[in-house]
Amino acid sequence: MSEQQPLSQPLQTEEPLLNDQEMQFWLDKAVAWGQADSPDTQKDTCLHMSRLRDFLHQLLTQVNSMSSTTETMKRLPFLGQLLGRLCWNPYITVCDTSRGLLLGCLWGLYSERPSNAVEKKANQWIRKVLCQLSTEEDETAAQALMKCTGVPAKEYHLKVLRKKVALLQENVGQSCTLFNSQRCSCDRIVDISKACIPIVTCPEASSLISLLLQRPVACVTEALSEDFLNALTSAYSRQGLALEEQALVSLWYHSFYSLEEAVLSLLQSVITTGLTPQKLEQQVAQSLLPKACAQHCSIFLVVNDIFRSILKQAEGNESVKTLVQTFTKCFLRELALLKPQTSISVKAFFPQSPSSLLVPLLTMPSEMPQGAWRNHLNWLSSSLQRLTEEEEEGDGRSTRGHHNVFEAWFLLVQCAHWVQVAVQLLVTSGTEDGDPFLWLLIFYHYPTKRWHHRASQLARAKEAWNHIRTLFSGAAHPLPSDRLQSLGTLVSPQPEQQSFAPSLTVSLLVNVAVFCQLPPSGSAEVLQASVQVVDQSGLLDEAACVLSSLELRLNEGCCLSRDTVHLRIKELQKTITQMHSE
Amino acid sequence: MEAVLKNLASTVEMLAVAAQSDALNHWDKQTLSRAFHWARYCEHVFSKFHNNAAIRRIMEKQLQLTNQTLRDTIPGYTEVSFSDLPRCQHLLLVRLLNNPELPSSLMKILFDTTRPVKTMHGDYEDVTGLCSHIVQCKSVYKVLSPLADMSALGADAEVQGEMLMERLEALLNQGSETCRAEQFLGSVLQGCEGALQQFCLVIAAALLTSKNCTAQTAAHDFLLDWLQKKHSLLQYMCSLLSPTLLKDLAKEHQKLRDASCNVLKKWASEMEYSLSDGEWVLTSTGPGVSFKKLTELFLALFDASPSLRGDVEKELNALKISDGDFDVTGLSVWGDLLSALNM
Repeated sequence: MSEQQPLSQPLQTEEPLLNDQEMQFWLDKAVAWGQADSPDTQKDTCLHMSRLRDFLHQLLTQVNSMSSTTETMKRLPFLGQLLGRLCWNPYITVCDTSRGLLLGCLWGLYSERPSNAVEKKANQWIRKVLCQLSTEEDETAAQALMKCTGVPAKEYHLKVLRKKVALLQENVGQSCTLFNSQRCSCDRIVDISKACIPIVTCPEASSLISLLLQRPVACVTEALSEDFLNALTSAYSRQGLALEEQALVSLWYHSFYSLEEAVLSLLQSVITTGLTPQKLEQQVAQSLLPKACAQHCSIFLVVNDIFRSILKQAEGNESVKTLVQTFTKCFLRELALLKPQTSISVKAFFPQSPSSLLVPLLTMPSEMPQGAWRNHLNWLSSSLQRLTEEEEEGDGRSTRGHHNVFEAWFLLVQCAHWVQVAVQLLVTSGTEDGDPFLWLLIFYHYPTKRWHHRASQLARAKEAWNHIRTLFSGAAHPLPSDRLQSLGTLVSPQPEQQSFAPSLTVSLLVNVAVFCQLPPSGSAEVLQASVQVVDQSGLLDEAACVLSSLELRLNEGCCLSRDTVHLRIKELQKTITQMHSE
Repeated sequence: MEAVLKNLASTVEMLAVAAQSDALNHWDKQTLSRAFHWARYCEHVFSKFHNNAAIRRIMEKQLQLTNQTLRDTIPGYTEVSFSDLPRCQHLLLVRLLNNPELPSSLMKILFDTTRPVKTMHGDYEDVTGLCSHIVQCKSVYKVLSPLADMSALGADAEVQGEMLMERLEALLNQGSETCRAEQFLGSVLQGCEGALQQFCLVIAAALLTSKNCTAQTAAHDFLLDWLQKKHSLLQYMCSLLSPTLLKDLAKEHQKLRDASCNVLKKWASEMEYSLSDGEWVLTSTGPGVSFKKLTELFLALFDASPSLRGDVEKELNALKISDGDFDVTGLSVWGDLLSALNM
């Protein structure tokens, strides 16, 4: 015996989508909200807003699925009452979404061709409600004045609203003062901020909100309600709100949650898409975060903490590291613009970094003569080496030591321009000792590898470097395939160990290709061959990135870059693009 | 001018259609936009010519004719006067929404909640979301209005006061048209029947507007003269005002200061001592104050004008003497008043 119901029958045996309890709950709420207009009512309404929206959504779906108004009235007898009450609740009509849902439900009850008295009456009622909502004036005096002065209702209401906003702004503009034994006036500001929660997206309230955010904080009491800040944050991330620069910075300053959202959204936007270094810098600057960090030390500290926690989980993630470096660069630029006004020492922005390394690392290569780079890097390398040795020696205080090493490494990531210089110097070293530079590079890529691992990585790095150097020396022509082979084996993933840092290899390859003595075509050829051998996904893109950032650095630093170098860079870029299309 | 008059007439006819006709059934989005366009046109015409007495008369005549014709043909027709023209769009909207023949599709357009982008629909500005915006605006105000702010009168009274002043200034500016200004104030008062309290706040707000120009000073003067002629209104106003508000008003307007002082004295003279209450009370009907409030109001006036204090003290003393010059409470209101005022 088939249990299936014939498809032509309506699914009336199914449970109703909305039960009577829910309807009763919301009806009771609507009645309660309509009776009192106290701060508690307002709070309660705001608390229930999103649930109410969901409920209205469900209602709308159900109403639209009914075949006629008569049916709707039968199934949802209290619907009219509920809608009628909600229509007069300003907290619900103020928000576009809930107003839309409410109106949608009303339209659902409207019959184009009423078939009985009930439907006719419903139509009449709907028209009346809508007419009253938009044209009724409860104030006699207002109506009289409008008529006698010839000011239309729309203009009047806008004027009154603007006047109210202006009066409130005067209130907010008052600095925090303690009146004798009275409470600080900041209490009133909290109330204003709470009242603004349902209207965060209304353009008429934007100047008030801006003022609330930027009001100088004088006392200990938190003048802005957290719900208000959260409402602003979610509205902003939904792009339902436009905030001017300084208001946005103030929002971040007041709300950790909004700052976190902003940082994570920046991360997401730059990590997923492979951006060129120039584009990345643009995106970071446009996010306004570096500017905010320069204005408020606390913001910078929080942003860096977020970066730290991400890097602790994924220290090999090159894109995150690049972002951190770019971010720090933009931040320092913003700070320099502000410098004359602030007297905060740089140390305040980097409280956890080893102080001896701070200034040396923050100094840009372009700020010192090129000839001094070698010594500087040697010093940096040895300082960092000492730090790691200290950590490895002290077992009892291992967490302390480990922390120091991490902070030193994090600062290096922030100032990775020195890592890039290290690669350049290594490549142009010639016969001079490149070991300190190699050590620095290994440390940058493998900060947490302890000495025995680091030693073995260093050995592998030296070997890889030797192979690369030989390949580009031009001594052998055609390219020694065994060298290429060894390089490939060295770099490709081994069963016991992870693969040798591909980004380091690519970095070396590209830099050698740019600075070697081979003619441009020759160096391009070698690069092409090497990349093919190493051949791991995404390496071409990475090579292109390394090339772009090298170009950027050379251009910015205005170091006396010879034309040949630029020519070579162009040639290599062409090669990479060609390889891409193949 | 002929074209303008013709357009005026057509728009008024259109308003009549919007109010009562079945023809509304056939309106579509284009018709709707066009209707609002012509309503806007009338508003523009008003703002351009309302100061020109000659043109105004011609237009009023045309409207009279049109109204006449429509009155004869349409039962229950509501007239449209020249002074209605600046609110033409609003009148159109009210008529449309009250007409059951308005197609629901058009209502949906008017109440559309997606943020309207002011585009031109064909040749006419889009009216999508017009009502939705009005509802939202009203709601935002309702959300903010319970919040305490810097104003003693409230945002609505302040705006209403400004509106009053603006119109008054415009009417007085037109030369020897003081009767129109009188008419205007009279009609506002009449319109506020049942809301006299709010009316008094509006007058107070109007008197406190500060633009510091000759037009405003003249308008203030006119308003004060008008107020003084309406004794009961003035009395009522004094009974409503808070001492602070009275002080602010008295500071700005000497005429009002003197007039309210007279009101206060009159009240004092009508007070009788109630043994059961242990207080002086007003037994007469009509707006009044308690003895306590009376003293507060006096003090407010003195605050506004220190010179007044001396004059009033002399007067009260003289009255006290005429009452027998006793220093016992309950015998002479003047004596008690003097001691309450610390004189």
